[in-house]
Amino acid sequence: MTGSETATNDARADEELAVHLDGITKRFPGVVANDDVDLRVERGSVHALLGENGAGKTTLMNVLYGLYEPTEGRVLVDGTERSFDRPRDAIDAGVGMIHQHFMLVETMTVAENIALGNEPRKWGGLAVDRGRIDREVRDLCDRYGFDVDLSATVAELSVGARQRVEILKALYRGADVLIFDEPTAVLTPQEVEDLYGVFEELTERGKTIVFITHKLGEAMHAADGVTVLRDGRAVASVEPAETTREELAELMVGREVLLEADSDPVETGDPVLSAANVTVEDDRGVEAVSGIDLEVRAGEVFGIAGVDGNGQSELIEAITGLRTPDGGTVRFDGEDVTDWSRRRRIEGGMAHVPEDRHEQGLVMPFDLVENAVLGSQRSARFARSGRIDWADVRDHAEDVIGTYDVRPPDADAHAESLSGGNQQKFVVGRELERDPELAVATHPTRGVDIGSTEFIHERLLDLRREGKAVLVVSSNLDEVQALSDRLAVIYEGEFVAVTDPDDVTEEELGLLMAGERPDERTQPARAGSADAGGER
Amino acid sequence: MIELPSRPGRRTLLVGLGAITAVWIAAGLAFPDSWAGALLSIAASPSTHTAMLRLAVPIALAAIGGIFAEKSGVINIGIEGLLIVSAFSAILVTFWLGAGESTLALSHHWWGFAVGVLVSTLFALLFAIVCIEFKADQIIAGLAVWLIALGLAPFASRIVFQSPNTAGVGRFENVTIPVLSELPVVGYLLFDTPPQVYIMLGAAVVGWYLLNRTAFGRWVVASGENPKALDTAGVDVRRVRYAAVLLSGVFAGLGGAGFALGQLGTFAGSGETAIGGRGFIAIATYLFANYHPIGALLGSFLFAGLESVQIQLQNLGYAVPTELIRTVPYVTVIVVLVFVGKTRLPEAAGESYDADED
Repeated sequence: MTGSETATNDARADEELAVHLDGITKRFPGVVANDDVDLRVERGSVHALLGENGAGKTTLMNVLYGLYEPTEGRVLVDGTERSFDRPRDAIDAGVGMIHQHFMLVETMTVAENIALGNEPRKWGGLAVDRGRIDREVRDLCDRYGFDVDLSATVAELSVGARQRVEILKALYRGADVLIFDEPTAVLTPQEVEDLYGVFEELTERGKTIVFITHKLGEAMHAADGVTVLRDGRAVASVEPAETTREELAELMVGREVLLEADSDPVETGDPVLSAANVTVEDDRGVEAVSGIDLEVRAGEVFGIAGVDGNGQSELIEAITGLRTPDGGTVRFDGEDVTDWSRRRRIEGGMAHVPEDRHEQGLVMPFDLVENAVLGSQRSARFARSGRIDWADVRDHAEDVIGTYDVRPPDADAHAESLSGGNQQKFVVGRELERDPELAVATHPTRGVDIGSTEFIHERLLDLRREGKAVLVVSSNLDEVQALSDRLAVIYEGEFVAVTDPDDVTEEELGLLMAGERPDERTQPARAGSADAGGER
Repeated sequence: MIELPSRPGRRTLLVGLGAITAVWIAAGLAFPDSWAGALLSIAASPSTHTAMLRLAVPIALAAIGGIFAEKSGVINIGIEGLLIVSAFSAILVTFWLGAGESTLALSHHWWGFAVGVLVSTLFALLFAIVCIEFKADQIIAGLAVWLIALGLAPFASRIVFQSPNTAGVGRFENVTIPVLSELPVVGYLLFDTPPQVYIMLGAAVVGWYLLNRTAFGRWVVASGENPKALDTAGVDVRRVRYAAVLLSGVFAGLGGAGFALGQLGTFAGSGETAIGGRGFIAIATYLFANYHPIGALLGSFLFAGLESVQIQLQNLGYAVPTELIRTVPYVTVIVVLVFVGKTRLPEAAGESYDADED
């Protein structure tokens, strides 16, 4: 925050609020999701709504966006009291929402998506005025410094570009207040920086931003004001400059939190997993992994950091048996498992927390009991002469739910009815409770709140203490740095460095992830040029 | 992972077909008395072409209707049933109005035509309610529409005519457009033809325009690809889907009633009925055309052309089994799907949409 901005903030203090939620209470049968919550957001500012999964952030924003009607309380936009029955009413009042899962039609063009539902007509409504859409959207792009190809189909765009299309969609509908639901959850570190730039552009032109997050760093870095929600109550409203990460974490969780996972040195044993010269092609037949060697020993956490799409997914699939490598060997517990089926690998003691819990981790329409047995459906533990003992499976599911604090604690709930963070907790629990020799976890805490993140990290470190091998892939630098005993950085299918995580700074890691080779760096350590981190 | 053989692509397929056609034409010209020669003279004869256009009517119109339903996310496999009910009710109403006489005034035919379209639309409404309101499985509901129509039409026919086959009511007369009909080739094909052919040609153009140039068309596409996106954009997904399914009923009704009154002049209700699987060929046709209305029209020419050639061959004493010709559309679709692979079902096709779900 620069001095001039602080000055303008003070000047704004007297102006009316862009958004004022006054004493909002939202009750669902048996649950109070929001309890007398106040939220005040100044015009032209960025406001973070910080809280753990299930703290009521999304419910509160759904009230503001017209998806829910509040049980009690008032919604004021620009000083005027409003009552929204549908999102359409909120849109008309200038409130736009950028959903976490983008609401875009992949087969349609950028322009068509932006105008969807608001198409300007010509010839008495008989045709869409496509010229006018193009003109209006180009104006918006010029004004906010966006660069998107209007005639490209959305399927061709990167995740970051898709988010910009969503923002344009809201702006096209005349939104002055933009609500972002966990906007950085799917972005690469570079795209996150770009998004913060977009926030600045928007607020400079008088737009107001409210974003939902459970990441402390984001709230500290990007917001002018932070409201912390816990168990449906607003527990504090602070300015980032006047607080610390530790204080925010405590407000959020309601107790003291260890932000750094504690990993004491442990004696490492024999290699459990070793890959030699592994080459893997992706679905398009392009080489995604080019001759990677890696070794994970018993009692060791091996981390792989990298920007998504640099071959880590393919490498993990080759290791876990979901994809056949095109070259090289994978050895597990001393045996060559390159040609082993997935089932044999599971039975051999390989657990896998996949990167996409929806596609690979869970069967969404199944309940948690059924999901708990996935991967163990043939194991002697649950299968008796070809039949599954469902009572045993239920016990197991309830164990996982209890141990990993999955909410709601109901084994009969369908996987799709759980929030993303709770789905993740369940998958992690199921996999780690297999008592594996090797645990492979990709983005183990993606979408999980810090309380549960702490727990998942502890469990991974427990495995390590028990002398098991752990392989963690993450694009979250804090996470891999804190957990790993050794850390590899992957870039375009190759390891550009394998180091002790304590020997590198976050900036250096950022540069490595962006493709800079260690030997190319002129200044070896602590270069300190944070601005260059990930800019390339 | 299973390795698929590499796809030869659309171009290779077209080149291959072109080569076979060229060999056939060359052989036909060189040996006019051979099989190839007979086939060539049939394929070149004007009567084959006029028959092709008329036989294409139910296929093309049902396909265009099916495109709208499926693009919106509702797979209307019951389109065969819509053809049956519209064909039968068109004949029945025309018969009632004309008190059984076979030489009727044109207006009675048009009344029958209108009722045929209406009945098809009502059946489509029923299907839409079951699929959209009650979230029934679309394939099962579609099969039900077909089976109900397959039983209902001959049953009603037995009550009225004491036979599964109705009495004859006469056919639409050709509408000849002055001057244009004098043009060579296109003249007799496109401008001296019964009304249902004009309707088919017009419907293909209107269908394409509606789908690609209007806001409604964009909503239909969005509803089939990502209904949630359409919902959050403030458009009611259910209403879009209702409209699209009703539209499929209207188009199929135009096809069924037009075919019955313009081509058949009667309705045979025994066995597969006079429609004889043309609704299923329509589904194959729009998949073959990758949901493009004009492409579906051209595809229907291909399949109707084959049928027309087969009829002519039979007239000349060559016995080509109808059943074999009937398999051609389905084989073509499989070949196209496997080797060209351009057809892609809408992402949300077959799934009911629940606005309250997160």
